[in-house]
This record gives sequence, structure tokens and C-alpha cells, in this order.
Amino acid sequence: MAMEHAAILEEEDIVLSELDDGELVEQMHEDLYDGLREEIVEGTCILLERDWGAEKVLNEALVEGMRIVGIDFRDGILFVPEVLLAANAMKGGMEILRPLLSETGVKPIGKMVIGTVKGDIHDIGKNLVGMMLEGAGFEVFDLGINNSVEDYFEALEKHQPDILGMSALLTTTMPYMKVVVDEMVSQGIRDDYIVLVGGAPLNEEFGRAVGADGYCRDAAQAADVAPAMVRTRRLGKIVNA
Amino acid sequence: MIDNPRRRRAAGRKRRAVRTGRAAVRAARKRGIVDEFATWIDRRIPYFEVLDTEALELIEHNADTVLEEIGIEFRDFPRARKLWKEAGADVDGERVRFPRGMCRSLVKATAPSEYWQHARNPRRSTIIGGERTVLVPAYGSPFVTDLDRGRRYATLEDFRNFVKLAYMSPGLHHSGGTICEPVDVPVNKRHFDMIYSHIKYTDKPFMGSVTHPERAKDTLAMAKLLFGEDFVPRKTVLTSLINANSPLTFDGTMLGAATAYAENNQATIISPFLLAGAMSPVTVAGTLTQILAEALAGMAYIQLVRPGAPVVFGSFAAVLSMQSGAPTFGTSEPSLVVYGAGQLARRLGVPFRSGGGLSASKVPDAQAAFEAANTLQSAALAGVNFMLHTAGWLEGGLAMGYEKFILDADQANMIAVLLKGVDLSENAQALDAFREVGPGAHFLGAAHTLKNFETAFYRSNVADNNSFEQWQQDGSLDAAQRANGIWKQMLREYEAPKLDPAIDESLVEYIHRRKSEFEDRDY
Repeated sequence: MAMEHAAILEEEDIVLSELDDGELVEQMHEDLYDGLREEIVEGTCILLERDWGAEKVLNEALVEGMRIVGIDFRDGILFVPEVLLAANAMKGGMEILRPLLSETGVKPIGKMVIGTVKGDIHDIGKNLVGMMLEGAGFEVFDLGINNSVEDYFEALEKHQPDILGMSALLTTTMPYMKVVVDEMVSQGIRDDYIVLVGGAPLNEEFGRAVGADGYCRDAAQAADVAPAMVRTRRLGKIVNA
Repeated sequence: MIDNPRRRRAAGRKRRAVRTGRAAVRAARKRGIVDEFATWIDRRIPYFEVLDTEALELIEHNADTVLEEIGIEFRDFPRARKLWKEAGADVDGERVRFPRGMCRSLVKATAPSEYWQHARNPRRSTIIGGERTVLVPAYGSPFVTDLDRGRRYATLEDFRNFVKLAYMSPGLHHSGGTICEPVDVPVNKRHFDMIYSHIKYTDKPFMGSVTHPERAKDTLAMAKLLFGEDFVPRKTVLTSLINANSPLTFDGTMLGAATAYAENNQATIISPFLLAGAMSPVTVAGTLTQILAEALAGMAYIQLVRPGAPVVFGSFAAVLSMQSGAPTFGTSEPSLVVYGAGQLARRLGVPFRSGGGLSASKVPDAQAAFEAANTLQSAALAGVNFMLHTAGWLEGGLAMGYEKFILDADQANMIAVLLKGVDLSENAQALDAFREVGPGAHFLGAAHTLKNFETAFYRSNVADNNSFEQWQQDGSLDAAQRANGIWKQMLREYEAPKLDPAIDESLVEYIHRRKSEFEDRDY
């Protein structure tokens, strides 16, 4: 008990601005792990003030911290509510970095438009995916529930994301994903986006059948798969060019 | 040496010289002790209760606080909000807040405590509510799985197979509804084939389509063709599942279907669907509060639509793994919830739906068996009246298992024996047996045993109780492998119950006509 108490006191005493760069980055990894949004925002600002580039802050402090969170979630050490807190802290840092990144012409980690399909208002899983992707550094445009082809198309046009994510909980709504993909094909925009689908009644086979690029079984896997797919796609474009 | 009772009987015992013959005995043994035409289980044991009066009043008070302060959303269904406004609730956009006690009064005033659900075979008609339990197959899986073919999307053929298996399972009193989702049929037309299967391949009562108000109306139209135009609004022939979109929300699809059924005096099960941790608080008390609040609001709405329309207090409550976010089953917290929810439903005086053979396992293994046994037993002891998901459920409801169905149906039979309680008749007291056998002998050949042995104990059709050597000779099969043989044999032996050809024709004609009226659509 006494030891724990001492540890807490000691933690409270940490003044981020007094840490050297190495210590601060390490502390930010710890703070991400603990889901401390304010501290992450503060740490991000300090590093920027010390003339760190936004991309360096992103990669060394935030992305690396979330990588550690991901490992401990996978290993069953961190629980879902803690991961959501961590993702929210990451989002806090990203909100500061994002304008700077775009100013310097750094490609963002990724952008995603996500929403549940027409007829489906079950959005807990979709919300988790959105938060996990924000945790992975993505900019996420959440269209909410019950989205028609038109809703998705409007958002694609407006946000120009890397990924379109569609979610469904019902067997009666999941086939609508194919309606959306078919329409993308017929309008000649299918290949402009990565299409990811998810939801309890789906599987790999269904994902392929509707013409998606991938099926994600849960939010953690989506957060793993999405950045990798965006990277691969960009590399592919460079090679093709 | 054990006497052979059969031989002794054949030899013409003085006391009971009845000629039975091999064929009759073989048939009787195959049937087992379960009444083939049991339409419900009469409960003769007390309820298992975990909350005292003070605790129940606390939960009820808190549910009223939720209804009054936070309220319930009735989304995309203006008519519900209009009815609530007229009834005196506070309607703010889609949010409806209820004066304390309002929902309870509405339910207590007109909702029946029990109701007959008629089947096309009058011998199969059942009563939902009171001190009865009706066991119903699992509902809603997109996938099916069996030992031979593994996991795959369900088809209409699978759907028909499970209707047939439920028809042939005497422990299941009801044919259920969307036993599995026939994914091979277009979304906007599959309800025709599902309802037709429940009419054609079984004569047990069944559930209606709820995925669109139009599909509820088609179900009603088909029910009218089956039961007669004037029978249906007067009598209840459908019990349909209306899930809340928890937390604290009902959506337009469910409200539309519920309204169509209620207007026609058909029963609806208002079911809060909670995975605690995500869709309700992480505590038993908080979850019970939410179940009561949502069920009250839904059931009271039905009473506004048509006072006296049958409603069932539903509850589906499991808990989420906080570690991974996955739903879990067969653990103790949901058992506490089902016991408490049963108490709350009885205090309201309405039938109660919950339970089932729930499991997160992917295959019919030990996990599937122990989780399902826990959830079935808890629900039976809790006093569930309508036990949806009794048989087949795997993978948190994502898959309907053929072998799991057989294993659960066996458990269903045992629930009937358990709930019947202890027979205290003179015969059951068995004093004659003690007088006959006395100390130091055995009861196997006693007259009392001979008189009672056939129906004395439940015999499982899947458990293997043989010696190791015998089991080995029989192929060293585990329970799932034995169940695999059983469902295949049942499907081979299935014979459809007779259906009036004129009615059949009218149904086929209706389906054909309706299907041709609009295009196939996948939403």
C-alpha cells in the first residue's frame, strides 16, 4: 500500500517540460498507455516547441506509444476501456499534429470514411473501429448509422479518404455492402479507395463476395490492417507510376 | 443375477400378465419418457430468487428514475411518439420521458398474465405465461455448422432441416422463428419461405417476421390463410421477437413490426438485448434496472397500440469480455440477472422470456456443453416462460449447430423432468418396495420397480454410459459424433405433418403472387 502511494506521489511530481527529449518521449509512451489525453497534448506541444518536426513527434512519441498499447491489448494485459482511453489520448495529440503535417506536405497515416449501412443502426462495433483507427493515427470521418449509397458517395467526394469502411450487424442489412461496391464499380471509382467491411455476421468469404478489399473481424484487427493496406497501396502507386 | 423383466412378463407373471410384444416395446423404448405432445412444462418447483423485496423495490425505483429522467428513444416511428404524447408522456424529439409509474400502470392495467398461442394442430397449441415453461429453438444465426461440412452461411435447406428437427424433438414445444437466416434467398423475400416452412414442415406454434413492417403484414396474411380470416385477430397465433436497440432505444423497424402484430392481437416479446459492459452498465443491478426500464417502455407502448394485446417481458443479457470485447456466456453474472429479471417480470404479472443454451464456443465441445448447461439450468430455475435459444446456439448466436441442437434438445427434455418436481403419490413414496425387498437385497426385480422403471429416470439419447470396452466397440465416439448420427437419422426418418392441400395451395399461391409483385432486393 505504502509503496503504491509513494509511486502515485512520485508520478504526480513529474513535470513534463523538465524532462529531456528522451525522457519525455518515454513518458509519453507511458501516458498513452495510461490514456492521459491532457498529458499527451502537453507532451506533443513541448516537443514541437523544442523544434521537433511534426512527423518525428508522430512517429517516435505517438505511433510508437500506441504500438506498445496494441501489443499489450493483444496479449490480454490491457482491457478494452483502457485501449479506448489510449486511443482518445492519441487523438488529442493528432489534432495538434494534423494541420502541421499537412502544411509540411507529409502524407497522413490515413483517412477513413466509416458508417453502418442502410437499415442498420447498430453502431457500437463501428464506433470501436473508428476509435481504434484514430488511435492508429487515422483521420476518421464517421457518417454514423443507416447510410445509403448516396451518403457514402457524398462523403468520399468530400473527404477523399484512403479507406471506405462499412459495417453491419444484421444479416438483412449486410448485403447492402454489395450494393455500395457495385455502384462504386459502375461509377468507375472502385479502385480509388480501399474498401473494408466488418460486423458480426460477416466473414472473409462474404467480404470477397461483396467485392471488398478486406474483412476485419474486430476493431483491433482493423487498426492493424488499415495502416498496412494504406502503405501498400501508396507503394503500389509509386511503383505503377 | 439380474432378472430379465421382459422374460418374466412374457412368461405370464401372475400379477400383470400383459402381452406387449417386441415391436411395441421397441417403439416405446425409442420414444423415451418425454410426452410427444407436451405443449409446455408445468412447473411444480419453487422459483430460484436472488432479490428480496427491498432489493426489487430498489431496482423498480431506479428503473422509474431512468424512465423519468433519461427516457427512451423511439426512433424513426412518429406514431409511437404521438401515442406517448396523447398518453401524457413528455415527448422531446425522439426522446420520451415517462412520469414515475406510468409504464407500470399501463402494463398492469391491460397486459394479460398469460395467453394461448394457437398452433395449426390444436393439440400443439400452448400457453405462454403462468407457471409454465415453453422451450423454443435458437433464433437468428447467419451461419450453420456441423461436423461434416463445418461452418458456412445458412441456406433455406438448413432452415427447413432445423424446422424438421424441432418438430421431431418432443422437448421443444415451439417451432421458433428465424432458426437460422436463409442467406441464399433475397433479403426482402426470405420471410415468405421461412413462414411457409414453419407452416408446412411442422404443426407446432411459431414466430413471425420482424425485419420490416411489410414482412410482419405478410406473416399475418399467411397466418390468416392458415387459421382463417376471422380467427386471427381474435386469437393469438404468433409470438414475435421485438428487440430493443439497447441502450434505451427502440428503432422504427422493430416498432413497425411490433405495431402491426399488436394491432392484430398477436403477441410480441419486448426484449432488451444487453451485452453488459457495452450496452448496459457492468453491474448486475444496473443491468436489471435497464432491462426493466426498456421492457416496461416497450410493453406499455404495445398496450397503447392495443390494450390487452399479449406482451412478453423479454431479456437477453450476456456480459462482454472487458479484455477483448467479445460476448461471453454461461458465466455467473448473467445467471444472477436472469433470476432477478424473472422476479421483476412476475411482479409485473406478465410472461417472461429469457435463457437458452447459450455458448461462445464455435463447435459442440466441452465449452459448448458446460456453458449451455449453465444457462439452461439458470433460466429454468429462474422461471422463464418462453425460452428462446433452447437448442442449437453456438458462437454467441452467430452459428446454429446441428450437433449442438441435438445435445441441447436432450437437455430440454431434462428441464421438463426437473421442473416437474418431486412426485409424492403413494406409488412414488415406494413403501411397498421397501416391504418387498427388505434389507440387503436389491430393487431391480421388485414389483415396484417393474411397475415404474420405464418412466422412472430420464434417459439421455446422447450420453454414453457404457463400459470403456463397450464404448470402444461402438467406435469410441464422443458426444458430438453421436449427435451427428442422431440428426442425420432424424432427417432420414422425418415425415411431414398433414396439411390441408387447399390451404397449402392458397399459401403457395400467395407467396408466388407476392414474390412477383416486387423485385429481389438485398436490403
